[in-house]
Amino acid sequence: MAKPQDDQGLPNSATEATRDLASRIASAKRERAIEANRASASGPPEMSGMARGMRIGTEFIAAILVGAGIGYFIDLGLGTRPWGMLIMFLVGFAAGILNVTRVVTEMNKAAPPPPGSDLGPDMDEDDR
Amino acid sequence: MADPNKVDPIHQFAITDVFSTGEGGFAFTNSALFMVLTVGLIIIYLVGSTAGRRLIPGRAQVVSELLYEFVANMVRGAAGTEGMKFFPFVFSLFMFVLIANMFGMIPFFFTVTSHIIITFALAMLVFLVVIAYGFYRNGFKFLKLFVPAGVPAYVLPIVVPIEVVSFLSRPISLSVRLFANILAGHITLKVFAGFIVSLGSLGALGFLGASLPLIMTVAITALEFLVAALQAYVFAVLTSMYINDAIHPSH
Repeated sequence: MAKPQDDQGLPNSATEATRDLASRIASAKRERAIEANRASASGPPEMSGMARGMRIGTEFIAAILVGAGIGYFIDLGLGTRPWGMLIMFLVGFAAGILNVTRVVTEMNKAAPPPPGSDLGPDMDEDDR
Repeated sequence: MADPNKVDPIHQFAITDVFSTGEGGFAFTNSALFMVLTVGLIIIYLVGSTAGRRLIPGRAQVVSELLYEFVANMVRGAAGTEGMKFFPFVFSLFMFVLIANMFGMIPFFFTVTSHIIITFALAMLVFLVVIAYGFYRNGFKFLKLFVPAGVPAYVLPIVVPIEVVSFLSRPISLSVRLFANILAGHITLKVFAGFIVSLGSLGALGFLGASLPLIMTVAITALEFLVAALQAYVFAVLTSMYINDAIHPSH
């Protein structure tokens, strides 16, 4: 029903309308590109507890193994036994903790707590 | 335990030659056979089901399209539209791991992904692709991956090694997770199934007792199907997340 009315409008206003439409399409496209380009937070679906534990455990242990391994080869190359392995073991431990915090942050993002749940006194200031 | 017919839960992972060209030569093992079967099934199914290219898909085509959509959304979600360049890579990995895991659930079939060398090779492939593409696309800016934003300069000597070790641990955690899940699941399955046999041979009371591990075996079989699919998913989703790091190195 609105179509004949639009056609009767002045050519001036018609071009304005098309320009308006074009800009709207452009802005919508831009928004969509931003949306698509950003790595969205659509994490994995509900994992079973076993899978979650396995994920965290391997992240932690792998970092320690890699750290200790690097330390071992540093010692082998430089003859600094046992210091390289000791230090790199601790670095690996730290990297393991880092991995675990990353995984858990990601899991929390994927499954936010239901609204209204009590998260403790100062959860607002805390950015997870 | 001295019984020659005893249940050996490890035996299922033994690698045997299907045929070989003599000592030290080329050997076609059962592992290789099942890899070929896996790839063959994937190719036959995907090519066969999409050959018609019907606008209104049939059942087989719907499954292929769902798989495509599923992985495409995963890649797009984790690595953005730019990551779709790697869609064929992630899709191949996902399908290979999924079908190899599912093959493993068929009795008497060899499970390719229960050997760490296979999963480690796959994880190393992902790792090297990420490094190569990261340097190709970002040049030395890729190294920013190891320098988190907003960290004061005096802690960098501590933070950078930690980040490097964390990065290097990725192929290990990726491969160990898949391998350990599949290996542990299959061993558990075999052990519980073995209980049925050894309890069942004890007479009437044993029959009653054997029903308990039987129930467990059925339940674990269902769980293993879930694990098989979930691990393929986890492998693919982590691959796309690592690719995201290669595309956008600053986190």
